[in-house]
Amino acid sequence: MKLAVVVQRYGADINGGAELHARYIAERLAGRAEVEVLTTCARDYITWRNDLPAGGDTVNRVKVRRFPVASPRKPERFGRLSNLVFDRTHSVADELRWLSAEGPTSPALIGHIRRVRNDFDFFIFFSYRYYHAWHGARAVPDKAILVPTAERDPALGLAIFPPVLAGVRAVIYNSLEERALIEHLSGREGPSIVVGVGSDIPAQPDARRFRRKFNVRRPFAIYIGRIDENKGCAELFAYFQRYAALYPSGLDLVLVGSNVLQIPKHPRIRHLGFLSDEDKFDALAASDLLVMPSRYESLSMVALEAWALGKPVLVSGRCDVLRGQAVRSSAGLYYEDFDQFAECLYALEGSGPLSSILGGNGREFFARNYAWPVIERKYLEMFDRLAREASPAPMAPLPGWLARRRRDAPPARRVVDEAPTGPVGRP
Amino acid sequence: MPDINVRSDSVDVEQIMRQIRARIREKRGSDYTETELQQLASVKLQQFLDPRGVRSDLVEQFRRHRIVSDAPPNYVFEDTTIYETHRAPIRWIRKVLNPILKLFFNPNPISSALHVQAEVNAEFHRRFRQREDMDPLFFEVIHNLVVETTRLGIETQNLRMRVESLTSRLDFDERRARALESVVEYRPAAARAPDAQTRGGGDDRPGPAGGAQPGGREGGPDSELRRRRRRRRRRRPGQTAADGGPGGQGQGPRPAGQPAPDNGGAERPEAAPDAHPSPDDRDGPDDGGGGDEGGGGDTDQ
Repeated sequence: MKLAVVVQRYGADINGGAELHARYIAERLAGRAEVEVLTTCARDYITWRNDLPAGGDTVNRVKVRRFPVASPRKPERFGRLSNLVFDRTHSVADELRWLSAEGPTSPALIGHIRRVRNDFDFFIFFSYRYYHAWHGARAVPDKAILVPTAERDPALGLAIFPPVLAGVRAVIYNSLEERALIEHLSGREGPSIVVGVGSDIPAQPDARRFRRKFNVRRPFAIYIGRIDENKGCAELFAYFQRYAALYPSGLDLVLVGSNVLQIPKHPRIRHLGFLSDEDKFDALAASDLLVMPSRYESLSMVALEAWALGKPVLVSGRCDVLRGQAVRSSAGLYYEDFDQFAECLYALEGSGPLSSILGGNGREFFARNYAWPVIERKYLEMFDRLAREASPAPMAPLPGWLARRRRDAPPARRVVDEAPTGPVGRP
Repeated sequence: MPDINVRSDSVDVEQIMRQIRARIREKRGSDYTETELQQLASVKLQQFLDPRGVRSDLVEQFRRHRIVSDAPPNYVFEDTTIYETHRAPIRWIRKVLNPILKLFFNPNPISSALHVQAEVNAEFHRRFRQREDMDPLFFEVIHNLVVETTRLGIETQNLRMRVESLTSRLDFDERRARALESVVEYRPAAARAPDAQTRGGGDDRPGPAGGAQPGGREGGPDSELRRRRRRRRRRRPGQTAADGGPGGQGQGPRPAGQPAPDNGGAERPEAAPDAHPSPDDRDGPDDGGGGDEGGGGDTDQ
């Protein structure tokens, strides 16, 4: 079997959520099939500048082919178009302009996909919202498998996406909540499966080594990821400072990751910056729990890693996906306000009654759903199924020239806001 | 904080969250969550804000009046505007005759004024649009003020209730302390009651208590004299009648069911002086009687 993984950026040092997800999947499937990655020369997701050379490359024994981005993103134009399509009535033509402005606009990549469509059995597209996925899926709809990595953001409400989401051959979701949302918005009925992604968990992470190395003595909750307001960190800091004032002998907060947001100076908040994988897993092993305050996640890999190490997770109750996973796994609690945050932290302390029980559930949940053999099996089963089944009806075409320019598409934000919310119960 | 009740390894996160929420409700009492405050601020403004003279529909009014106006019509006026026409020959004639026109009056100041006015209009509209753009910020400020006012109103109400509660408790404690003090202070008097009943008099104690028993069951001048003599014999050398407490009867027998004070009320300096009875002390005998009946003073409170 020959598979193409198509993603906006690719590289061993590129750590964006969807990009890392794509790399893990490509590397794992490379052991079961012939895999080639098709991507752009961009490294920076803000500008999509051509930082890497075009042409062939090999990353961790996986063949990679890069194509140049025709024009870098102009943030002002993109912002203006985003305001138009998210918040005002607009036309399909406006949405297509928005898609081009968002990038990474690489007609060469799309042209290549068209040329080699017969050389591959399936094309696995990551991140529905970018240029490569939308145009690529329309180029090879009968061979397109989409991993949308969709969050509950306004882009999902644009009128150009439902035909693609409904018309690709299969969709591989990260969570039940993502599936419910996409199926509601696109009316999709074709093959789909909830898979997610695994992680390479070290067998023996060393908590003591971490405590020695970073001189961390007190029990602590850990946050791992980009320290950004969009990730809910501002709320986390506000809540934690109140918690620290109320409970002087409670947990400390350790932050791992690069910061975009200013971190408050507080004796019980430690920022360790970006850590190697070894240090990261040691830190997780030393922690009492992981905090994940983000409201917009399609899947939190770090939460899965915490569960793999038997650590409970405290997540934002406003993120349907995380809340749903916490409930389904019985391995974490969620909070919606400060009182719940403080009570949950107390309940999840390492010496508390819940820590070991929830941690054990998390370990089991990870092994049952996110261990690499499970992930690989799900992908292979989907390929087998698609190979057996006939191709469905072709993807709906774009509206005509005049219809594309008719200003009748509702604001995308409104469309998403009107979609049902809440976590999905146990399957 | 009490621990969460986990009965088995198969935990239900929703169940735990219900327990946590219940505990928060218990702890919080009459406080409100942020969400509830927001709801209160938007729904019950009338209740909270009208008494203070703030319009109850302030937020709604703000929201309703948030409009972005269209640009008003404007014109462009240059020094050539008054000579412009779509007919080229006429334009040429006007240009040729312009020096002659200027012999009658000078149109340049008019052109200049109208040109400046057009720019002023454009500038005015630009500033007006800026002001409209600021409206959402004002709205946010007003909204936050309303939320904070609501929160303060609720807090004030809670504090007022707490002060009332504390005041009533303090009052209760004071009355209770007074009742206890009076019991201790008037024990001898209470003890004297059976004594007086035995004597059939109480004539050595002024006031209504003594006068309430005009005729004793056993009394008589002889028996009274005998008692006095016996008492004088028992008194230690150097001890006066006042040293023994009111009426010098601090060591008298206790009434049935009345516990003995630890130090003997008569020995407490604040309880001893008869010379300066407080208003409460003056009521003492009655209170003491009440105390004998089972501490009625306490139960009243």
